[in-house]
Amino acid sequence: MFQQLVTIVPWNFVAAICNLLIQMWLIKKFLFKPVQKVLAQRQQMADAQIADAEKARTEAEAMRTDYEQRLAEAKEEAAQLVQSATRTAQLRGEEIVRQAQADAASIKTKADADIAQQRKKAINEVKDEIGGIAMDIASKVVEREIDPKVHQDLIDEFIRNVGDAS
Amino acid sequence: MDVTINGAPIYTIPIGPGIPISATIVSSWIVMLLITGLCIWLTHDLKVTNISKRQAAAEYLVNLATSFVRGNMGVRFDSFIPFVAALFSTSLVSNLLSLVGLWSPTADLSVEAAWAVMVFILITRAKIRSGGLGGYLKGFTEPIFVLTPFNILSEIATPISMACRHFGNILSGTVISALLYAALSLASHALFGLIPGAVGDLLSQIPFLSVGIPAFTGLYFDWFSGFMQAFIFCMLTTLYIANAAGEE
Repeated sequence: MFQQLVTIVPWNFVAAICNLLIQMWLIKKFLFKPVQKVLAQRQQMADAQIADAEKARTEAEAMRTDYEQRLAEAKEEAAQLVQSATRTAQLRGEEIVRQAQADAASIKTKADADIAQQRKKAINEVKDEIGGIAMDIASKVVEREIDPKVHQDLIDEFIRNVGDAS
Repeated sequence: MDVTINGAPIYTIPIGPGIPISATIVSSWIVMLLITGLCIWLTHDLKVTNISKRQAAAEYLVNLATSFVRGNMGVRFDSFIPFVAALFSTSLVSNLLSLVGLWSPTADLSVEAAWAVMVFILITRAKIRSGGLGGYLKGFTEPIFVLTPFNILSEIATPISMACRHFGNILSGTVISALLYAALSLASHALFGLIPGAVGDLLSQIPFLSVGIPAFTGLYFDWFSGFMQAFIFCMLTTLYIANAAGEE
């Protein structure tokens, strides 16, 4: 037994509508729901990973900033250290030079004083010598003893005259 | 030789006086079992990462249906995705069912008529939703009142043309297949009948020529046409509904 070739059978018509609706429900339940769930989960995971990466990047950025700041601080500190060391060294050097100059000056002064004293001493010795010689000469001349104590004035005058002459 | 092309066979379930049941309905159940079984097989053991080829296929199908509906209708019709997917898969599997020698449900006009009526209801619902009942009724009198009968006619023509297009294509494939088989069988009979004696009589009874050639015509009438009609039916469904709903 066959249906007619081109006809609409009411029961088949109704069954087709019901079947399509049931099929729609089945496809939704067994294909779309599970797959969409998995896709949503994957999306969520990807979002989470992106968020994590963003967070890590922000942290790295903060760390970098911090590190750069510290580096700058360290550099500044080093520069300060060098500067202060330089200044100290300079001051020290200046002090040493000043000390050396002072020492030199004092040595020179002392040397001058020594020289002057030596000179004075030498002059005095020479004076005594000359006095003695003069006395010898004079005693030879007058043929008698000249007492240095008695004739001190005479000797002094003589020496003065010699000193003036020289 | 007679060539007969029949409608759906009617089986009888041997309970009590015997309940008649159309091959269309039996085949529809087979189609539903196949599609649902495929869905369940594709989506068991789904994973978020490191997915299998099976899951990739399932996701591909879902994305395909989603992008098809969104491409034709826009994002606001996402609720239609399962309907369109069901329509397409049922139509396609029904069309291809004839390949394994079973009765194709789409070779019964009742099925396409049912689908077309459902689409017509959806179109009408979309129109009423977008313009209100008054706007929907008023639409029939535009641009002038005289055109009302033609507007009604064109409205009714939509589901009829959809159903008949699909049915006609499948039926024509069936008719051409039947004619081709008959012709090849006759040709085979004539060709091998040329062999004299009992051998010729025996060989002429076997339609040797029917092997091979129908496979190539089947490529078009079963595979291509089956796929195209399912695609066209869904394409028209989405476009008509989106068009009926109008602009956002």
